[in-house]
Amino acid sequence: MADNNINSNSNGNGNGNINSNSNSSNSNNNINSNGDSSSNNRIWKALRLAWRAIARVFGLLAISAKMDLAWLLRDTKYAALGICGDVVNNAATVSGVFLIASRFDGIGGMSADETLLMMAYSTMVTGIFTLFGAGNNIHVSRIIGRGQLEHLLVQPLPLGVQLATSGFAPFTGGSNLIAGAALLAVAAGRLGLRITLPWLAALAAYLLATMAIIVARSYLVSSAAFYAPAAAEEISSDAIEGTWILSTFPLSGMPRFVQIPLLTIMPEGLMAWFPSLCLLGRPPLGMAAYYPMAFALLASLAANLVFRKGLDHYARKGSNRYVPHGFRR
Amino acid sequence: MNKYIKTAIMSAFGRTNGGVAYLLPGLAIKAVTLVPLMYLWRAAMSSGAEVGMSLEQMLAYTYASALLADMLFVRTAASGWLSEGVLLKLYGRPMPVLGQLAAQTAGGWLPALLLFSLPMAAAAPLLGVSLVPASPLFPASLLLCISLGFAVDFLFACLSIRLRSMNWLIDRMRVAVAAVLSGTVIPIRLLPFGLSEAMKYQPFASLGGAPLSIFAGAADAAETIALQLAWNAILWPLAMLAWKKSQEGMVSYGG
Repeated sequence: MADNNINSNSNGNGNGNINSNSNSSNSNNNINSNGDSSSNNRIWKALRLAWRAIARVFGLLAISAKMDLAWLLRDTKYAALGICGDVVNNAATVSGVFLIASRFDGIGGMSADETLLMMAYSTMVTGIFTLFGAGNNIHVSRIIGRGQLEHLLVQPLPLGVQLATSGFAPFTGGSNLIAGAALLAVAAGRLGLRITLPWLAALAAYLLATMAIIVARSYLVSSAAFYAPAAAEEISSDAIEGTWILSTFPLSGMPRFVQIPLLTIMPEGLMAWFPSLCLLGRPPLGMAAYYPMAFALLASLAANLVFRKGLDHYARKGSNRYVPHGFRR
Repeated sequence: MNKYIKTAIMSAFGRTNGGVAYLLPGLAIKAVTLVPLMYLWRAAMSSGAEVGMSLEQMLAYTYASALLADMLFVRTAASGWLSEGVLLKLYGRPMPVLGQLAAQTAGGWLPALLLFSLPMAAAAPLLGVSLVPASPLFPASLLLCISLGFAVDFLFACLSIRLRSMNWLIDRMRVAVAAVLSGTVIPIRLLPFGLSEAMKYQPFASLGGAPLSIFAGAADAAETIALQLAWNAILWPLAMLAWKKSQEGMVSYGG
């Protein structure tokens, strides 16, 4: 069952399969006899397919956004409470370290304002997480552990595309991203940072790398839920929230035997501290500024490998927790 | 009393039903978080700023906070009882509901105390941390903290009954707010901008931060315990009243 729709083909019925192939343009190949025209046709076809895929992804994001807006409008009181909850939760998490930094006039060589920049970065990461992860699609062990993967596998869309687009919540999930951006502006102003286009591009690249690491680690450990659905249902929470407080610690001034494990085995240092120092123009420990990107790539590859292996196991064994409508057994 | 002890033992074993191995990741995270936190304080306090606490006191405070975490911030099963089906279990037994909750919660502390707190306490001297309480009033303060923790938890449970499907959100907000206001992560007296004076009289400050301050010798024990007694006297009647009014409003669909 698991393989049913991952690479399925559509015959142009408009159901929007990302990997769909259309046969309508094949006949054109016979008309153009010279090699250049044939090559051009192939390029155009590839571009057209790519465009359709991108348009479909945006279409799916729009559907998620519409459902999010519907929740906000129909259940405004609870949605507003949810938004407040997100902001309060994040503020409580990041304010602790900032208060320490303010009280001690900095921590381990980082000034209070530099710590503020780090907390702003952390808040933006939290914001992006809630913006794109509102449907347990990043806490994927919950979907697997509760036997809800079946609901995705019967849809006429690749699993990856569904997981990437189903948690988009721009109306109720974007509050921390806005708060983080505002904090970042304040911190940059206090530090006298020149905000240029390359700096913003670097910020976007680091945010993307941080998110990739979070998602990769979650998917890596969540693969355990394919084998032990009940015991590992919440393992992604341990991997994401369980260690999140660590990611707000400035590691500056700590000994190497603390710093190195937190940049490799448990990469909490890559969630805010390392990228913030890179954005301040001083990558820590003499490491290359692109280290988070390299780590993100390796983590993603490892997660892809392990998750696919788990999915294969699931396709053969199924889930003992599946019941209609996805309630837990 | 025997039935409460049996309930507590059942709860303790319930934590390990899936095997002790499944508890280990959570305990490992606790240990892994504690080490950088200790070094964070070392790094911060190396600045030499005068904060009214020595490094030794700060390390003892942080270490004891990790070891007694569950007791310093009480969370009963009531937090998720509307969606987890706890409600039906509790009302189906011939025992007071609040008593069951208290026994279940206390029993649930045991595995972590045995598997994490005990070994870490034994390892404390190796890490240069003294775990000798600075005042003999520490156990009394800890008991008052636990008592107040139950009262606060029951009040939040009543709020979750009132707001029905928001129990997850309420619990999340409570954990976040209490982490800052209770002083379990950062001692209240270390807060900047004059916040320390204003914050020490709010009820959350009588939770985890109070016994920890007495343990580390960073607070006037008599004054702290008096505040804890006062908040217990105020919040317990409130919790019981709210509880009485909320019971009829319970709706559960989960399981």
